[in-house]
Amino acid sequence: MPSEPQDLLLISLLSRVAARADGAASHSASSERALRELYDLTSSKLYGVALRVVGNRDWAEDVLQEAYLNIWRIAGDYKVALSPPMAWMGVIVRSRALDFLRRRTSQQADAGVELDAYISETVASDAANPMDTTQASEQAWALHECLRKLEAKQRDVLSLAYLRDLSHGELATQLKLPLGTVKTWIRRGIEQLRGCMARFA
Amino acid sequence: MNLTNNLALMDQLAASYALGTLRGGARRRFETLARQSPTVRAAALLWQERFTSITELQAADVPSPNVWKRIENALAAQRQPVAVPTDNGLLTQLRRSLSRWRGAALAGGLATAAAVVVGVNLNGQVSNQSVQLAQAAQQATQASQQNTQLVAQLAAIPQIQYVAVLADDKADASVLVTFDPKNQRLTLKRVGSFQEGADHSLQLWALKSGGPQSLGVLGGDPVIRLTAAEGQVREVPALAISLEPKGGAPTGSGPTGPVLFKGALLQTTL
Repeated sequence: MPSEPQDLLLISLLSRVAARADGAASHSASSERALRELYDLTSSKLYGVALRVVGNRDWAEDVLQEAYLNIWRIAGDYKVALSPPMAWMGVIVRSRALDFLRRRTSQQADAGVELDAYISETVASDAANPMDTTQASEQAWALHECLRKLEAKQRDVLSLAYLRDLSHGELATQLKLPLGTVKTWIRRGIEQLRGCMARFA
Repeated sequence: MNLTNNLALMDQLAASYALGTLRGGARRRFETLARQSPTVRAAALLWQERFTSITELQAADVPSPNVWKRIENALAAQRQPVAVPTDNGLLTQLRRSLSRWRGAALAGGLATAAAVVVGVNLNGQVSNQSVQLAQAAQQATQASQQNTQLVAQLAAIPQIQYVAVLADDKADASVLVTFDPKNQRLTLKRVGSFQEGADHSLQLWALKSGGPQSLGVLGGDPVIRLTAAEGQVREVPALAISLEPKGGAPTGSGPTGPVLFKGALLQTTL
């Protein structure tokens, strides 16, 4: 179940990280300790996100490093965000991971090949990706309950579309599925989610 | 079509928009509608918010401990105290010095400008920066603007955190000094035409309130590298070069000969 004390702890750590902005050396040290605590509490979760988006452990570690330095810089912005802290940080990781993939794609034309190989052994296999609700916010819990009602493949295609920011066509290519199948899965998946999420709204 | 009259379709489009699968013309049409209608906009924002939680549902995995070490290193590199120069006199002096130095670099040919960068640049962007600086030197139209640009470029080299332009009494720049605290490396580049005689040496001094402290004796090469700890350079307002007997002033004494060049030491803000 959602853990509110955990959220409150993360929020207070984010605000301590942000406090370094006034430049005092003592605050900076305290901010660095707060970042370390935040890292200890969230890095494995966020590494999971990075790994799912970029599909390679080394790359995911680069992304994770960038994401925490990003969090270090913009922690002060969290106070105007209405999202749960893990979701806010998760979005940062996703953005850095997508940036990473775009840079890679622009650098080498064969970048897609390695992605394909990764996806075919995870998403397109029969084994569904496990969903993990540890540290999940109430909002994530609701989404989890609704996604759980979808077929495993539908759920994975939806998750992948979001995490990797893929179009129907890109999903079809990467998953080696007919375009029509991908479109149908996405449309039905969204329809079912709509009905289900409405109950949590 | 009035989308707000078809709530189911609007919600479906809003969810596709937030998921990212609504593309092309359909996406643009939806965006137009969302800008016009708060109802449509609210539906899109709600779905965006819901989908962010997909990131919360991914299976955790343990990254290598190196990741934190790398983050820690990056933080340490940023931690250098940011001293914003408040003395406008010093800044004006630096600008004037840079202007002269640029003139000297032009007179000495573009190769000089490139060599300066090769001399100070320690982080692998040599060719790129050389080209940029050579281009900057070529455009000799807006001198002050270019100096600002030059300072920005020097500041943009991550490991160079202190810069000084040492000029003679006619304000002609003669030596460009940079300090890289990470590698404890002072790099001096002669940009003027001065060359000491065979029986003399130039010596670099940190002008501290307690009296000048030697940072080392310069060899005769166009680019000189000296080792210095950051403590020797931090909060030093200015550097100076004196003409000394061959091998430098006796240890422990201050400068014994005339000060030929001096200039403000500025910390580049990172």
